[in-house]
Amino acid sequence: MLLSDLLDAPVRAPSGDPLGYVVDVRLVLDGPLDGGLLVQPRVHGLIISPRTGSSFLGYERSDVRSPAVLARWLRWRHRGTFLVHWEHVATADADAVVLADGYRRWSPAFPEGAHRHV
Amino acid sequence: MKRLLGVALGVLTAIGGFLDIGDLVTNAVVGSRFGLSLAWVVVVGVVGICLFAQMSGRVAAVSERATFEIIRERLGPRTAGANLVASFLINLLTLTAEVGGIALALQLASSVEPRLWIPVAALAVWLVIWRTKFSVLENVTGLLGLTLVVFAVALFLLGPDWSELADQALSPTVPGDEGPASYWYFAIALFGAAMTPYEVFFFSSGAREERWTVKDVAQSRVNVFVGFPFGGILSIAIAACAAVVFLPRSVEVSSLSQIVLPVALAGGKLALAVVIVGIVAATFGAALETGLSSGYTLAQFFGWSWGKYRRPAQAARFHLAMIIALLIAVLVLMTSVDPIRVTELSVVFSAVALPLTYLPILLVANDPEYMGRHVNGRATNALALVYLVIILAASLAAIPLLIATGGGS
Repeated sequence: MLLSDLLDAPVRAPSGDPLGYVVDVRLVLDGPLDGGLLVQPRVHGLIISPRTGSSFLGYERSDVRSPAVLARWLRWRHRGTFLVHWEHVATADADAVVLADGYRRWSPAFPEGAHRHV
Repeated sequence: MKRLLGVALGVLTAIGGFLDIGDLVTNAVVGSRFGLSLAWVVVVGVVGICLFAQMSGRVAAVSERATFEIIRERLGPRTAGANLVASFLINLLTLTAEVGGIALALQLASSVEPRLWIPVAALAVWLVIWRTKFSVLENVTGLLGLTLVVFAVALFLLGPDWSELADQALSPTVPGDEGPASYWYFAIALFGAAMTPYEVFFFSSGAREERWTVKDVAQSRVNVFVGFPFGGILSIAIAACAAVVFLPRSVEVSSLSQIVLPVALAGGKLALAVVIVGIVAATFGAALETGLSSGYTLAQFFGWSWGKYRRPAQAARFHLAMIIALLIAVLVLMTSVDPIRVTELSVVFSAVALPLTYLPILLVANDPEYMGRHVNGRATNALALVYLVIILAASLAAIPLLIATGGGS
């Protein structure tokens, strides 16, 4: 399956209730070096927005509040967005992503201090 | 002293590089039909391009990524792909207009049919892209483009009624024989001509070519904030020349010979020779910039190696993309399509596509992950949001107005 199949896919709880749409797939690079040069990316989880499959444009990652009008509008449009870990995804295909029992809603923000490269 | 020279050179090339065929044609057409009643749009456009170029230059210098790399990173492949198609096609349209402009200017100088000049012009553009160092190409065309100052000189020599011109500019009204739809259509065209997207691709990719770092941000700010407003003044001078000569006679500008006629009337053969040099330099410079931009956008989106600092063999796809874009421009022009019409369309579609590049740059300029402490300040963001509204409004209104006015006629 292609990563782009997952984007926009509707997400359902184990009970079948609709939870929203996949707006992003979070990858992490923490594995061993693959062939000595590159790290294999690993799927960490899915970012799920309750109301829309459109992009959050990166505002889910941090608490950036500017430019104010855009940030506020995007946060409002994507209110309630959460991260689920990949191990709590029961089935995933382009038609629907179904979460497993006992899934947790994590904050979609990056942990403080991570990924800073400037 | 060397630093001062560097600043002066940067400012001068920014002035000379500001004008292209889009500015020349749109300002002259608008001047002949609306006088200076649309001069305010040039001011709005110049402030906009200052803001946008300053942001994208800062983003390129601090994050070390050029515009289309950022668009791809921020919008994801699908949205960015749609963005690429639109931006690339409009850039191609602008490239076509610029090559046509070179041919028309050479026709003025030589009376040789433009279709004979078109392949020569395109070949010359390609040779310069292929062989010449980035800094040389930028500085030579920018400095020669400064000869367009002759439009401002011509305006003084024509001895216009200054109070009449000031009145048109300061209390703008739609002239009696024009409808409000064409007034707003040309307002959008002028705005698109001042804020063409390729300037931003070229500016931010050029910053990468020249290996800008945080230290160069101040210099680029001076270039933009001093150079572009002077370019804007030249734009208004072109419109004013057309307003003085053509508006009272109700002659509508539709060819390059009409655009230069006020200069020839005011300054004779010598001034005409100077203005032709200026137009060749301005259109040639812009053809280089749009030609390079067609390579930059594609290569940055697809992750090909790009840049003039690499030898062509090391950036083969980048160079091939530019060759193909130039060939398409030549083929389009060889159908005898009027380059002036192509130009008029290209500035309007530039306005249509503007939000596609503006929004990602604005978002990234606010993202501390890319920018560290060089994120936009409050004042910049306030102005940037005002411009977001203007740019969106111009983009949405452009095509309906294009249809309603039948292309402004």
